[in-house]
Amino acid sequence: MYNLHLSPEQLEIRDTVRDFVTEQIKPVVLDAGRLDVCDRRLPMDLLDRASQMGLRTLALSEDRGGAGADHLTSCIVTEELAAGDADVAAILSESSRLGHLLFDQAMTDAQRDRFLPQFLKNDRYHLAFAGREAETETKLGVNYHRPAGTDAAVKTVAAPAANGEWVVNGAKTCVANAPIAALFAVLVQIPGQLRAKVILVPADTSGLSVSRPQKTWLHGSYGDVTFKDCRVAADNLLDDDAAVLLTGADAAGKGMPSFQALNLGVGRAAYEAAVEYAHLRVQGGRPIIEHQAIGTKLAEVAIKLEVARAIIWQAAWASDHPAAFADRSLSDLPLQTVAQVFTAEMMMKATKDAAEVFGAMGVMRDMPLQKYVHDARVCLHSGDGNTDAKLRLAEVIAGYRRVTNGARAAAGE
Amino acid sequence: MDFELSNEQRSWQMLARKFADEEVRPISLERDAIPTARETFDWDIIKKGSKLGFRTMAVPKQFGGHGTDFVTQALVMTEIAKADSAVSKAFSQNWKWSHLICTSCSDEQKERFLRPFVADDTFLLGKGITEPSAGSDNRLPPEDDIKAGLKLKAERHGDEWILNGEKAFIANAPIGKLFFVDARTNPKVPLKQGTTLFLVPRDTPGFRIGKVFNKSGWRFYQNGEMIFENARVPHANVVGDVGGAVRKAGGTGSDTTGGDLFGDLELCANGLGICDDACETAMRYVKTARQGGRVLFEQQNVQLQINRMFMLTEALRSYVMRVAWEHDRKIHSCNAGLAMNYSTDVVQEVTELYLEIRGAEGCQMDAHADKLARDAIIWTHLAGDSVQRMKVARRLAKFTDHRAA
Repeated sequence: MYNLHLSPEQLEIRDTVRDFVTEQIKPVVLDAGRLDVCDRRLPMDLLDRASQMGLRTLALSEDRGGAGADHLTSCIVTEELAAGDADVAAILSESSRLGHLLFDQAMTDAQRDRFLPQFLKNDRYHLAFAGREAETETKLGVNYHRPAGTDAAVKTVAAPAANGEWVVNGAKTCVANAPIAALFAVLVQIPGQLRAKVILVPADTSGLSVSRPQKTWLHGSYGDVTFKDCRVAADNLLDDDAAVLLTGADAAGKGMPSFQALNLGVGRAAYEAAVEYAHLRVQGGRPIIEHQAIGTKLAEVAIKLEVARAIIWQAAWASDHPAAFADRSLSDLPLQTVAQVFTAEMMMKATKDAAEVFGAMGVMRDMPLQKYVHDARVCLHSGDGNTDAKLRLAEVIAGYRRVTNGARAAAGE
Repeated sequence: MDFELSNEQRSWQMLARKFADEEVRPISLERDAIPTARETFDWDIIKKGSKLGFRTMAVPKQFGGHGTDFVTQALVMTEIAKADSAVSKAFSQNWKWSHLICTSCSDEQKERFLRPFVADDTFLLGKGITEPSAGSDNRLPPEDDIKAGLKLKAERHGDEWILNGEKAFIANAPIGKLFFVDARTNPKVPLKQGTTLFLVPRDTPGFRIGKVFNKSGWRFYQNGEMIFENARVPHANVVGDVGGAVRKAGGTGSDTTGGDLFGDLELCANGLGICDDACETAMRYVKTARQGGRVLFEQQNVQLQINRMFMLTEALRSYVMRVAWEHDRKIHSCNAGLAMNYSTDVVQEVTELYLEIRGAEGCQMDAHADKLARDAIIWTHLAGDSVQRMKVARRLAKFTDHRAA
């Protein structure tokens, strides 16, 4: 049964990460120069240290050299990291997530032998999944409860060359970790085949280029990736199921809620800063936490954090135990999506309330609160946004089953 | 009831709209994007606006100003804020303190300060109240802590006052030529009895500007520290009575024109401009941008978002114009404060809806929508934090007592 008692291992890793955040991350990222959202440099040293602690390889199974963290543990770690810095959390959680999916599940032994040693050895060996096609609409929007427009066509192509290699051509956008990734898993279409596949493209492949536009509405490190006649080994094509493995659970809203945990961490950072400041700041003859208005505001923020954490943990546990959906222990709703909508809305309010506690200091670029408000806004409007997420949820509630383009093609229509 | 504007009000509104469209909007995003706080300001726009009367419009005609009424002032603030909220504030900040000069200064002081203010297109005004350890305490002084509130000290030496201390978050501080400064002249009594208001010209010996604050929104608008190290201010620059500062600034009795009461109207009228900008731009966007091959406006969710944006904005407009109208008729009410609080809720919800409509596709938000939301966040601590709301509630309680009597 669902058990809120964390294991000794989970408690230990949470506390270790919490100490790391307090002692090492915060002193660096709270430097006034790095708080300006317009000029956010990646703290590569911190990412290296986090890697040495095992956070980059957190979800990789123990017998392959990782920590074998499940989704719930991963989310706990992501929340802790994001309470220090959302960028650090975003990068590590993506490499860790992909590390498990690729090395534990998608690769053959031969593929693993080629790539795993580098992943384990090199602290800067980050992973990226290049799924989203450039210039492609992903919103459900107008297609709510309608048959059309759901399968975004995969336009990036992997064509077989005469020598057995694959030649990859195409462009992907909004690829998390792209500027720092050593290895890309790329969603591609093979001419003549029905379903999309995933192919591994090392970052140093000739013809692969990453552009990192000056964008501020993101966490971590994003980029656009172009593949121009990239030649990769025949054996770099992953198993047929890899595409479903990498995209299926998230598309169904039942994947690991790591982004939601990050969002929660942002809210917690704001909350903790506000509580600390409310003890120190004296107005009205007493520390402001002793005033009803401020106390109530902090209580409201705390409620939002607790309830968001409850739904995130539930969604994380559910994604670790998909059988709980199958045997109807859980409602058949996309809990990851439920957690996304609720957390994003609540953390937006929470960070704004926390900023209010700081008065004018809450809006200054050399102070942390404006960064937390911005971070929460980025979460709220990330991807296709909450309005669209609700539509996806609504389709599930309505019991709507979309006839996909793929299914139509399979039926010979 | 008559909602019609006079020809004069209408022509000011049209003049402001033209200035906003032709001069302010084209520089708005560019200025917002400048990373260094000291460099966002642009004297050119101030000079152009000043020549059209937007710097001095609250100064009575007898002193060379335009003597506009509050309805006109609200209309102009909204129009300019629709193009850039921070530019609008850079102008209206001068009206706030020219109102204070008119209501609180002696005739001699009016002559001495209003004349040069009117004559010089680069003459800007400011007022120093807040200090690092005194923000809310100045707005809502605690009854049980007489030491609470501003600490900047003024001591009399013959015909001069010696000022020592520091002000923080002062609008126009880095660029202003004349400042009102609240200073404690008697530390042994509560703020309201122990504070005196001084007029401090920029070139006062011992007075200098410290850091310029790097705000996330309202980028154009300059905000800085004021540092007083044995600053020498002549006794002739004391405004009103020694110990009478707080009373003066808040306006008394039937006087609705003091700096603070104008300040309430100012924030809600300015916020209305942001809302107008968000509504108009959002409507244009949803009628042209497409998703799934169809314009966004065809979607029910978009229609509901647009409805809410306009509904809140028009409700705010009704309130803003009522407050301006009441000020013109010297009707004393708490509506200015309530409208200011309300504008915080409206400007933030409307700009958040605008962000939602835009969506952060491709890891980037539209720069204009991003700017409006950052500008709107400024309202929290200026117009809508719990202290600003409780202060209005206490005003309401006093007001109802007064009426009952």
